[in-house]
Amino acid sequence: MNFVLLFLITIFSLSLFFYGRSKTKSISIEKNIRLNALPKFYGYYLVLWCSIPALVFLLVWSLFEPVIIKSIIIETAANQGAIFSDKNEANLIYEKIKAIHLGTYFGDIDSILRESALAYAKFINLFTNSKVVLIFGIIIASVIYSLKKIKNNNKARDDVEVILKGLLFVSSLIAILTTLGIIFSLLFESIKFFSVINVFDYLFGTNWSPQRAFVRDASSITAAEFEELKDAFGFIPLIAGTSFIAFIAMLVAVPIGLFSGIYMAEYASIKVRRISKPIIEILAGIPTVVYGFFAALTVGPFFRQVGENLGLTVSSESALAAGLIMGIMIIPYVSSLSDDVINSVPQSLRDGSYAVGATKSETIKQVVIPAALPGIIGSVLLAVSRAIGETMIVVMAAGLAANLTINPLESTTTITTQIVMILVGDQEFDSPKTQSAFALGLTLFIATLILNYIAQRAVKKYREKYD
Amino acid sequence: MNNIKIKSKNLNVYYGDKQALFDVNLDLNEKEVTALIGPSGCGKSTFIRCINRMNDVIDICKVTGNIEMDGMNINDKDLDVVSLRERVGMVFQKPNPFPKSIYDNISYGPKIHGKGETKSELNQIVENSLKKSALWEEVKDRLDEPGTSLSGGQQQRLCIARAISVNPEVILMDEPCSALDPIATAKIEELIDELKKTYTIVIVTHSMAQAVRVSQKTGFFHLGKLIEVGKTEKIFKNPDNKMTQDYITGRFG
Ligand SMILES: Nc1ncnc2c1ncn2[C@@H]1O[C@H](COP(=O)(O)OP(=O)(O)OP(=O)(O)O)[C@@H](O)[C@H]1O
Ligand SMILES: [Mg+2]
Repeated sequence: MNFVLLFLITIFSLSLFFYGRSKTKSISIEKNIRLNALPKFYGYYLVLWCSIPALVFLLVWSLFEPVIIKSIIIETAANQGAIFSDKNEANLIYEKIKAIHLGTYFGDIDSILRESALAYAKFINLFTNSKVVLIFGIIIASVIYSLKKIKNNNKARDDVEVILKGLLFVSSLIAILTTLGIIFSLLFESIKFFSVINVFDYLFGTNWSPQRAFVRDASSITAAEFEELKDAFGFIPLIAGTSFIAFIAMLVAVPIGLFSGIYMAEYASIKVRRISKPIIEILAGIPTVVYGFFAALTVGPFFRQVGENLGLTVSSESALAAGLIMGIMIIPYVSSLSDDVINSVPQSLRDGSYAVGATKSETIKQVVIPAALPGIIGSVLLAVSRAIGETMIVVMAAGLAANLTINPLESTTTITTQIVMILVGDQEFDSPKTQSAFALGLTLFIATLILNYIAQRAVKKYREKYD
Repeated sequence: MNNIKIKSKNLNVYYGDKQALFDVNLDLNEKEVTALIGPSGCGKSTFIRCINRMNDVIDICKVTGNIEMDGMNINDKDLDVVSLRERVGMVFQKPNPFPKSIYDNISYGPKIHGKGETKSELNQIVENSLKKSALWEEVKDRLDEPGTSLSGGQQQRLCIARAISVNPEVILMDEPCSALDPIATAKIEELIDELKKTYTIVIVTHSMAQAVRVSQKTGFFHLGKLIEVGKTEKIFKNPDNKMTQDYITGRFG
């Protein structure tokens, strides 16, 4: 039904465009007046007026219709004598009623359910009919209004401008509000978590074993249980593992990325650049899950094999394998960012250096790199923030055990891995275990936010200097 | 009349397929200022960039013909470009100090060439260069501030000091005052007058007045050809060529 309505609204408003355009043209000829805008703007004006109110109405209606019908039906069922003690049971009955209506319910149907299903059908019908009537009413009203405006030769161009501005504003409002919503939900869930677990126990605890808090409602925790929970949520092993793997990744990505960036910017001929830059950027487009199974299935076992041959015990899920592959994943970011930064060092600085007799490598080392340094640091920080937020590779290749270790051959775990582990499978929404995922998410969010902020400041400051 | 320091013979320059200089024969006298004038795009910059082989930096640029300094062929493939640029310094149109301290801006060249091995020698070089470029009094107390914190005119003098620091024989200046106000320009012109006692100077300029004030010899370029060259006085009082006459009187260009 909704699709039919959408289709009709679209067709109708589009045809109004042509009507508005030719109508105003003929008006201007007939009455010999100068229009206040080009005829096509009257067309746009009609289109916008015809479609937006109807669409907004349709959207709002679709959001509220199910909720309202549901409460009405549950009410009806209760009046019929249905018995339910809490929300869950009520929901169950409602689902049954819906299924009966759709003909997909195969259990026993008693008289209460049958009556309710009939009522459901009645209400659905009623709602749909009124929806259609109202929408056409709205369209007719807004078309009459806008046609009248057009006949009075309104300043359609300015009006269209105002409407478009409003649309753009609403779009950005939605973007901002959803982001804020996510942040606040992170924040509130984390606050719940921290009302059970002390912030300091979390931040400085060295033991991470959230499974101890399995299926435990936060509100009904006893003092003894609390003691046990207290040191199950230590953040230190996670941040240690995260930083460790990120560190290994940077050991790989920074030198290789930076040197390849320097080569691209300073040495590569235009031809080489034209071919190799896209290739490097393709690397950046490989989905991380591909890197992940490469790390887990190829590199990890390879390291273990090599380790065995050398007489070392290497876990098949090692920080080394994860870090290495993550580093390879990040190389293109560092490379293309530092390439950009180095490229934007003005040629005049290089000329100045050549003119006193410096060679190319001296110039790069002593003039170009120092000049580009803030930007390079910025790109490295961006890469770090990617590394600590990266999930797929570490989930597949780094392991799950929260070891506090600096042996790259052992398995470690990271913040993102733990969030995944906590949230896959069945969840008790109120258990501290689930809530700890939000706390981890919040911590991660704050960390990357700070890194990104510093990085962007560095890059921007650098840009200002040379633009 | 001073000795000839630099001599170009049938110098041709190409950017890809496009020829930018045609058979330029121009002599530059030692310890004298030679001004190069001519309308935009006529090849003045191209010419002076041949003298320190800066055109090497541009891939598509090809230079043929001869250009000699004290009898040595600058265009020789086997020539050590680094030591050539040590002998031929350059100052650019826009001041381009390195984003380093004032001190490091000056000591950069000497360090690269292994001059000034001890700290005090290096200090001496920095001080001398800044004095010669008439900047010492203004910056002696702030040598560790970034070179980019100076005013435009000061920056240009810093760049002159940077060129002087490796003790060159020739200084090339490509419109050194075009980004400066009249007062800073006057200072630089005064400086050029002083510097010509020690160095051979070539200056590209769009200001006829400046050419008259600072140079002893003037060359007029048009569309890649050297149209006329001679004593500055003569070029500006009664040039042989009609085109030169038209240009200096502002009838085209
Ligand atoms: N890097 C380059 N690549 C291609 N052509 C160039 C390049 N540099 C200069 N040219 C061309 O060579 C010719 C001479 O340029 P040049 O810069 O020497 O002129 P100019 O006399 O210094 O002009 P201006 O007074 O504007 O500085 C011009 O036609 C220019 O288009
Ligand atoms: Mg020029």
